[in-house]
Amino acid sequence: MARTNNFVTRTWGTDQMSRFVDYFLGGVGQGLIIALMALALVLIYRSTRVVNFALVGQAMFTTYIGLTIQDVTGSWWLALFIALGSGALLGLVVQALVLSPMKRADTSGAIIATFGVLIGLQALASMVWGGDPRNYPQPFPDVGFTVGGTTYQFTWYSVVTVVAAVLLVAVLGFIFSKTSLGLAMRASAFNPEVARLSGIRVSRMLTVGWVMAGVVGSFAGVLIAPLTTISPNSFDLLLVFAFTAAVIGGLDSLVGAVGAGIGTGLVLSLVTGYTDSSNAPLIALLLLVVNLIAKPEGIFTHSHARSV
Amino acid sequence: MNIPVAPSLHVNHLSVKFGAVQALSSVTLTAPPGEVTAVIGANGAGKSTMMRTIAGLVRPELGDVKYGEIQLTGKSPEEIVQSGISLVPEGRSTIAELSVEENLLLGALRRSSDRRQLLLDEVYALFPILGERNHQRADTLSGGERQQLAIGRALMGDPRVLLLDEPSLGLAPLIVQQILELVRDLALTRRLAVLLVEQNAVTALRIANTAVVLHLGKVVMTGPAAEIGADEQLRHAYLGY
Repeated sequence: MARTNNFVTRTWGTDQMSRFVDYFLGGVGQGLIIALMALALVLIYRSTRVVNFALVGQAMFTTYIGLTIQDVTGSWWLALFIALGSGALLGLVVQALVLSPMKRADTSGAIIATFGVLIGLQALASMVWGGDPRNYPQPFPDVGFTVGGTTYQFTWYSVVTVVAAVLLVAVLGFIFSKTSLGLAMRASAFNPEVARLSGIRVSRMLTVGWVMAGVVGSFAGVLIAPLTTISPNSFDLLLVFAFTAAVIGGLDSLVGAVGAGIGTGLVLSLVTGYTDSSNAPLIALLLLVVNLIAKPEGIFTHSHARSV
Repeated sequence: MNIPVAPSLHVNHLSVKFGAVQALSSVTLTAPPGEVTAVIGANGAGKSTMMRTIAGLVRPELGDVKYGEIQLTGKSPEEIVQSGISLVPEGRSTIAELSVEENLLLGALRRSSDRRQLLLDEVYALFPILGERNHQRADTLSGGERQQLAIGRALMGDPRVLLLDEPSLGLAPLIVQQILELVRDLALTRRLAVLLVEQNAVTALRIANTAVVLHLGKVVMTGPAAEIGADEQLRHAYLGY
């Protein structure tokens, strides 16, 4: 458990205040990564009603590809861009694998197929790269900022994580609210028939969604990898947290995924910080159950019909 | 005399089957430009099925649909829209979660932004209420406003043929009359071929040039709208008034 939990582990600050600041800022950083993965889940769910559990597998796989590029070239940035590119490609492949044979089946068949793809990717990764956890290098020195004599857990890399995640969310927000592509994608998700009758190629928009989700998921993977280790199963917990956040956010709301992702990260960071890091999965489960009892349709949802 | 004649929409021997149910049997009709062709008939006569088949949402078993010489049968709904045939489906089909303006822009996404703006201005001139509410979500509009929005979205595609499926459904009589009169004016001024499906035969016949009576998936009568409206026997037999 300890290994896969690394990214929710926090060491002690020097006093109560700095401890709280550490947990809080750590929670925001973590929350943004959870938000990215939740966003990727929602991107696919809102247009196809399929929860793509393979996304963390895709992210893991492309992070390994990034790691290999780093081994060869030593460039963190090149590794990032190649990981994102292969994330897009993998999104395309997974959509074809999961949806095409499932065209006539119901969505639950497709959801189970995404689990199959996840397991397949994990098996393939352990054949190619082995099952032992490896470290993903950081592009910046791993030293926390010192303010007034107190050294915090917040490092330059944390800044990069936060800025990169915020930028990506902003870019996606811009695409969805201000561009023709975004309008076509939203219309295809909300009402495929009216979208088609307006001349939009809905199936192409679905593919764009799977590709975008693949890129966003890969980005989350590369961002989080230096904070933990990378192994075929190392993102399993991220899946649990991101799924929790996506459900709390309403599953079809991009804003909801981001908000609930940050919220989930904060709660996880604070609670595990003051108790024990091994509690993280339990807390996520608790959040999910409370949400499903209190507000099953999610906090930011558009639809009111989802039942559990 | 040398004005080029816009083509008509031709539905030729169209048959549609849903499993064992024959929804349409060999339906033939023509919708010429500049005119409103009304398709009337009781519930279940196959009117909506015919419209959805023309728009490419339903595959016919036999027969085809042509716009002039262009074969539409076999094309996808997206391609049919690009050919200039726009359907306003039954039930005020607007996208609730999008704003009024976004709903309209959907109809013209493939066009240049200048052309899109021009089309948008035209629709706002036609339906001023949509211009006033352009940033409101579509589901905050009244039924009549939403029907205007649905028609406006279709017009954003700058169509040559407008297919209207039950625009009067659930609307107050005064609003129905306004909308249908506007449709008739559109047909005249823009040389649109309008195919209007209506259960509300009285109002439809008042504005239509030609009427086609559909009964259990078959065409039982085609003729000038005024004549069909005056045929008491036919009204009793098929239209129920």
